Amino acid sequence: MTQNYRVENTGLINRDKKLSFKFNGKKYSGYEGDTLASALLANGVHLIGRSFKYHRPRGFFGAGVDEPYAVVQLFRNGETEPNIKATEQELFEGLEANSVNCWPSVNFDIGAINNFLKIFLPAGFYYKTFMWPKSFWYRIYEPFIRKAAGLGVASTKHDKERYEHKYEYCDLLIAGSGPSGLASAYAAAKNGAKVILAEDKPRFGGSLLTSDVNIGNQSGRDWAEGIVSELKEMSNVVVKNRSQIFGYYDHNMLVMSEKISDHLPKTKKFHPNKKLWYIRAKEVLISSGSIERPIVFGNNDTPGVMLSSAAKEYLKVYGVLVGKNPLVFTNNDSGYETAIEFKKNGIDSLVLDTRKNPESEIINEAKSLGIKIKFSHVVVAAQGYKRVKSADIASISDNKKQLGKIENIKCDCICVSGFWTPTIHLASQSGNKTKFNEDIDAFIPGISKQNETTLGAANGVFSLEETLKTSFQAGNEISKKITKTDKKIPIPNVVEKKSSQHDKFWCVPLPKGKNYKRFLDFQNDVAVSDIEIALREGYRSIEHVKRYTTLGMATDQGKTSNLNGLQLVSEIENKVVPSVGHTTFRPPYTPVSIGAIVGREVGKHSKPTRKSPMHSWHEKNNAVFVDAGVWLRPRYYKKGNENLFEASKREAKNVRSNVGVCDVTTLGKIDIKGPDAAEFLNRVYTNAWLKLPVGKARYGVMLREDGIVMDDGTTTRISENHYHMTTTTAQAANVLSHLEYYLQLVWPELNVNVVSTTEQWAGAAIAGPKSRDLLQKLFPKSDVSKEGLPFMGYMEGDLFGVKARIFRISFSGELAYELNVESDNGNFMWEKIMEVGEEFKIQPYGTEALSTLRIEMGHVAGSELDGRTIPYDNALEGLTSKKKDFIGKRSLQRAAFIAEDRQRVVGVVPLDKKTSIPEGSHLVKDANAPLPNPKLGHISASCWSVEYDNPFSLAILKDGKNMIGKKLFVMSPLKNKIIPVEIVSSHYVDPKGERVRS
Amino acid sequence: MQKYSIFSLVKNALSNHEKWDLAWKDPAPKKEYDVVIIGGGGHGLATAYYLAKEHNITNVAIIEKGWIGGGNVGRNTTIIRSNYMHDDNGLFSEFGMNLWRSMSQDLNYNVMFSPRGIINLAHSDAQMNVYARRGNSMRLNGIDAVLLNREQVKEIIPMADFSENVRFPIFGGLMQPSAGTARHDAVAWGYARQADSMGVDIIQNCEVIGFDVSAGKIDGVRTSRGDIKAKKIGLCVAGSTNILAEKLNMKLPIETHLLQACVSEPVKPVLDNVVTFGAGHFYISQSDKGEMVMGGDLDGYNSYAQRGNLPTLQHVLTEGIAMMPFLSKLKMLRTWGGIMDMSMDGSPIIDKTHIEGLYLNCGWCYGGFKATPASGWTFAHTIAQDRVHELNAGYSLNRFNTGYLLDEKGLGTKTWIS
Amino acid sequence: MLYINCPHCGMRSQNEFSYGGDASIKRPELNKEISDNEWNDFVYNRKSLRGKHLELWQHISGCRQWIKVERDTATHEIFRTFKADEEVAS
Repeated sequence: MTQNYRVENTGLINRDKKLSFKFNGKKYSGYEGDTLASALLANGVHLIGRSFKYHRPRGFFGAGVDEPYAVVQLFRNGETEPNIKATEQELFEGLEANSVNCWPSVNFDIGAINNFLKIFLPAGFYYKTFMWPKSFWYRIYEPFIRKAAGLGVASTKHDKERYEHKYEYCDLLIAGSGPSGLASAYAAAKNGAKVILAEDKPRFGGSLLTSDVNIGNQSGRDWAEGIVSELKEMSNVVVKNRSQIFGYYDHNMLVMSEKISDHLPKTKKFHPNKKLWYIRAKEVLISSGSIERPIVFGNNDTPGVMLSSAAKEYLKVYGVLVGKNPLVFTNNDSGYETAIEFKKNGIDSLVLDTRKNPESEIINEAKSLGIKIKFSHVVVAAQGYKRVKSADIASISDNKKQLGKIENIKCDCICVSGFWTPTIHLASQSGNKTKFNEDIDAFIPGISKQNETTLGAANGVFSLEETLKTSFQAGNEISKKITKTDKKIPIPNVVEKKSSQHDKFWCVPLPKGKNYKRFLDFQNDVAVSDIEIALREGYRSIEHVKRYTTLGMATDQGKTSNLNGLQLVSEIENKVVPSVGHTTFRPPYTPVSIGAIVGREVGKHSKPTRKSPMHSWHEKNNAVFVDAGVWLRPRYYKKGNENLFEASKREAKNVRSNVGVCDVTTLGKIDIKGPDAAEFLNRVYTNAWLKLPVGKARYGVMLREDGIVMDDGTTTRISENHYHMTTTTAQAANVLSHLEYYLQLVWPELNVNVVSTTEQWAGAAIAGPKSRDLLQKLFPKSDVSKEGLPFMGYMEGDLFGVKARIFRISFSGELAYELNVESDNGNFMWEKIMEVGEEFKIQPYGTEALSTLRIEMGHVAGSELDGRTIPYDNALEGLTSKKKDFIGKRSLQRAAFIAEDRQRVVGVVPLDKKTSIPEGSHLVKDANAPLPNPKLGHISASCWSVEYDNPFSLAILKDGKNMIGKKLFVMSPLKNKIIPVEIVSSHYVDPKGERVRS
Repeated sequence: MQKYSIFSLVKNALSNHEKWDLAWKDPAPKKEYDVVIIGGGGHGLATAYYLAKEHNITNVAIIEKGWIGGGNVGRNTTIIRSNYMHDDNGLFSEFGMNLWRSMSQDLNYNVMFSPRGIINLAHSDAQMNVYARRGNSMRLNGIDAVLLNREQVKEIIPMADFSENVRFPIFGGLMQPSAGTARHDAVAWGYARQADSMGVDIIQNCEVIGFDVSAGKIDGVRTSRGDIKAKKIGLCVAGSTNILAEKLNMKLPIETHLLQACVSEPVKPVLDNVVTFGAGHFYISQSDKGEMVMGGDLDGYNSYAQRGNLPTLQHVLTEGIAMMPFLSKLKMLRTWGGIMDMSMDGSPIIDKTHIEGLYLNCGWCYGGFKATPASGWTFAHTIAQDRVHELNAGYSLNRFNTGYLLDEKGLGTKTWIS
Repeated sequence: MLYINCPHCGMRSQNEFSYGGDASIKRPELNKEISDNEWNDFVYNRKSLRGKHLELWQHISGCRQWIKVERDTATHEIFRTFKADEEVAS
């Protein structure tokens, strides 16, 4: 069977290029320019999948983005993707696709048993049962329900495709390339405006591709082609097909997803799969057209039932007959266009029109072509399981309540038209409060909220003549305001058939004694009866109805079901549609690839990585790195088979006995200049700063206004009005903003400027008893003796021709210095230190050894300054000035902060001097107390003291001040550990701080 | 009231489902109530239910501006957990966990509480230590917690990124096996149905215009549907707290922010647990319908718009792919936003106020859903007894004056930084 | 994504800025005796209403200036922007 439903001489497909593809393992052929849907229909395949709940057979309903059920599992170039709309997927050679949500096959699906149970599975049934016995929900019911979840299968492999982002600005962004989009784009482009015209389909032209009209002296389709090729030539216009504008966000930011590669067997080299465009538009023209809405009748989900516009599109664009014995069911003139198109291709159809005696040009044409028409007739129910075989039809009374005698007629498809619903999603997303238009039984945009204008069918204008007139006008007038150019375009003559009034009819009543399912939402199996139950049970707000029945929640987001759902609610509740209201549309208009949203920031690039200038040296010397915020820092330098513990112990020991060097480039550095700099620091830090002499550094602590420690670090007075502040690695950016906040907003009278210099300086800390000897050799011309460069002293020096800053500051508690050179010289500095330091047995040390050194010295760091502690907690209250005010000082007077038993940092040593104390453990009085066991504090940092060769930890302990010498228990239930400990001073090593001053 | 069961389902099926009762009535407001709860969200409905059930106070009205369950109870990512570090938060939430476990039976409404376990991933040893501090605190409070190493995490969620090409490798994680998810709408509807059956009036489309306060005592509330007298009034309006507080001349340590969430298209089950990313702010679970439910950061500026912008979602999904690269091939189906009442220390307020008879329940930040039963239970107690229960003693408004704050994250008053 | 008119740089996308919250808060003067209530009001209480909201943003990826923005918290419409030291007349 090859393409038996393909007709000659019509369609826009490329018949010279035959493509083969597989569906559910079976081989078929189609043509270039087909969608998977049109190619399958050309082969007479209508059964494509199963519905979500009842597993009823499902076919194609639409021909594009509105498709409610034809989703497939796609295989392309060794990868698989779930839930691809067959109506949107373009055919390529070798395409493979499978049905979703059926087992073992789409033809024989076990899940279809639900269809027989459907009477027991109305809307919300799961809220009412599966509750007994209690444990069965977890063990039996939910796992069972869960197994049934989902449509396609997600691949758990990494995505090999690449996605790109683009930021664009334009004067006019035009969504949709139908008549209104083309006319407005053309007019605006002629005025010189920068225009972006976006079309979601592969072909431009929208409704002009399928309607039988003339513009100027050409067919609508040719006119469109002419305009598009002219636009493409213009340098101020960007024309994009396969590009869906899916979101209208604040301040006229719209986002568009452009498919670059999905229509190809594989993505071309150096090409992305998709490109996401963030477009900031001065003006937005929404010309997104309209979507035909169905009429609801019995078994209207049977494969072969589809929108009449879709049937027409399959025929006119793809040369495909959706059936050879079609029945057209319409409440307006659109159905006739489909019937006429069938007739032109030699197929006779029967038209059922719900209207009594409509008269119009097109109906006359149909009549004259000999098309059979039955007025005041409806389809009561489709018959057939996996494909429409016949239809039960009947006449209907004028009041649309009574059906006449039911008659069964043979047919192989039912093309249904219930009139048109404007696609108002983008307008609604922009914040536009849409309004109900009685004339067309649908919502249209109201007053513009942002700079959006809706044109043509999207605005409820269905006459081509009117659409072109308003669109040329809008394009011209809106662009004219921007470009100050006014090129009038003559509006071409339009030949179109005038339509007669549609019938306000959307749902066929059930015949007596029949209980057909009449579906509103096809994918989620929401039927008229479900809405009725929801309302009966009091779920009366439209939002309640939606949530209770899942109406409009499927992957098509209710494009064909929402309005009929509203009609039903309004009818039952006896309200007018607008007072039932409708749910506000949210982006995305149609599901968007998550890969495209994310773009290039994947894998190693998911966040930036910052590296010091000495990074490659560390790499070459077996550094094992650790993430410190976005920085990578050496954690330890591995020698032989050492593990973290052994290596860090060796490194720390070497600092205590010889000298070590540590990369401290990551510390935040801020240059502070100005005559009021000292006063500013005095307000920012808790301690006194007014009398710091030039050439001296000082340690400082800064608070947030709530009294909590924000950061600590040293600041050095480089010259009279010039200070160099250091911050912790983690807080660098926050501290800078904090300083700028106070300078710009709170104390603008202070004449101070601040700027980040973190990137400008490379830093190395050299620490250990031999550091001065090393320093002297590095700076032979400088006096770095105890007197020449005392503790907290600062000087500049010449490091073998490179200018260096030398700070005598210490984090390790040893005699130590910190060198800064310009970043470019960082590696030079480091290599010199290592080279000259060799005779002093220098070793580099990483953050782990650094932690050990600071912990046993009782220096607080990030794990103590965790955003919840005040100076007192960290034994830093000595640095809080009593004399002057500073940021956050007032908060320190609060009850919790001055409580007698306030928490405070202490040292913790295991009684056996052997058992390591896991960080994150808690301190308790009684290890055997019943739960909840009151916690007295927690272990904030642990190390193996290299000084005393036993474990040592810091803890933040309640009433820490009075706990020294007490015995408590450390508990880590997570690690099953209970460790008896003694509380000691946090200053475990060199409590008087003699070494740093030595 | 009709009892829901498999039998009632079958029985009603045979009568064509035409005999189901209203889940709740839609009465007009009476002139006076003992208690008026403002806000027909999860917390308000639960409060009314527990007032009736635990305190036998049934002359109660819930007044709701829109439709019940339309706020954050219907706009969250349905996660239920008690994995807190601070005792007040941990013990409060664990009390709630017990209410969750029997909620379906208690309400005779299947809320589909599903204890599928939550895993907080850690990406460094330092983070493992932070999680250990929290997990140990949980265990000492009698709450289940397990510290997982990398291999254990891999066994549970093999689809997370364990490859070389990863910016923040997974070191391990903290798991609370008894945490999980529930069907959010069902929670609101289940509470509403039971409260209604015990005599509570659920009044929708009723907006508060003002309050009547005299001599420091609450007298009633003025609404779009008329004045209603009340001996006691409970404020339970999440993101609208500041709007009502202004009508009472109250200033609160609350800021209103937008939190977005999104779901992917439904796919066959691949992810059984709730998982959070440790090197950012992203969480994910898969619903019983197959959708990946995902959330993360606030939009980052004060907002009352239940609509957000894409860069925030882009940021959130970037972290999602960093954690689980396979998400790249899925499609984002729906997005929505909820208005969060962000408190200045990230923990809630359930307390009396300086106005006699006026009670406050707010500041839930993005953790309100899981707290629904415990919040309702303790708020009902606070209103009924006119004193706080020990479970919500830590949630006092006065803690911002005394400094006894409950800052789980240590971020201070910049509520928009998550 | 919001589009913010930085008074120093012109129209810039929101991702160049970081947010700073309620701009109506005035820090109590240094060294001034004030009550606990006044202080805690400054530290914790925020104006966060629906509608017009005067707020701070910092142009961190631009001129690094703190600016004041008058924005509607329900519609996100931005009415006016001000330099840090500009007086805001309502």
